[in-house]
Amino acid sequence: MKERKPVMGCLPKNSAVRRFVFRVVASVSANIVLTIFVASCFDEFHPHGPLAYLLAALPAVAILGFIVALGLFLVEEKDEFQRNMFIQTLLCGIGGTLVFMEVWGSLETYMHIRHFPMTWTFTLFWIFCGISAPLLLRRYR
Amino acid sequence: MKNRLRVLRAEREWSQADLADRLEVSRQSVNAIETGKYDPSLPLAFRIARLFETSIEAIFTDEM
Repeated sequence: MKERKPVMGCLPKNSAVRRFVFRVVASVSANIVLTIFVASCFDEFHPHGPLAYLLAALPAVAILGFIVALGLFLVEEKDEFQRNMFIQTLLCGIGGTLVFMEVWGSLETYMHIRHFPMTWTFTLFWIFCGISAPLLLRRYR
Repeated sequence: MKNRLRVLRAEREWSQADLADRLEVSRQSVNAIETGKYDPSLPLAFRIARLFETSIEAIFTDEM
C-alpha cells in the first residue's frame, strides 16, 4: 500500500479519500451553481410565496449532499487516525463558523456593523476547516 | 500511553511506511502512535500485537 497523505492536507491516495473528494467537489460545485442560479432567479423574476421558499432551499440540497459525503467517508475510511483527524478538522470548522456567526451577529445587532450574508456560512465553514487542518496536523508531526 | 513500537519496528528493520503497509494504515498513523500522540483503538492494538507476534501488554504500557 502506498503512503497516504492526511485527509485534508494534500491530494488523496486512498479510495475512501478519493471518493470523498469527488463527492465534496460535486456537492460544493452544485452549491455554487445553485446559489448563482437562485440569486439570478431572485434578481430577474422576483418570485414570492411558496416558489420563493423552494428556490431559497435549493442550494441547501447541495449542502445535504455534502453532509452525506461526510457520513459516507467516516464509514468508508478504515484508518482510524485519519478519521480522528477528519473529525477534529470538522469540529474546528463548525466551532470557528459558530463563533464567527455569534460574534458578527452580536456586532450587527448592537454595533450596527455591515450585514454578513448568511449564504456565506458554508464557505466560511470551509475556510475554518482549511485553516485548522494544517494546524492540527502539526500536532502529530 | 507509552509503547515499544519504534523498537519492535527497528528490530525488523522496517520503516514507518513498511509498518503502515502491513497494518493497512497511513504512515502518519504509525508516527502518531510511535510518538505517543495517538493511542490506537483496541482492534488496531490487537492488529499490531498480532503483527509482532506478541501481546498488547508487551507493546503498550499505561504509564505516561
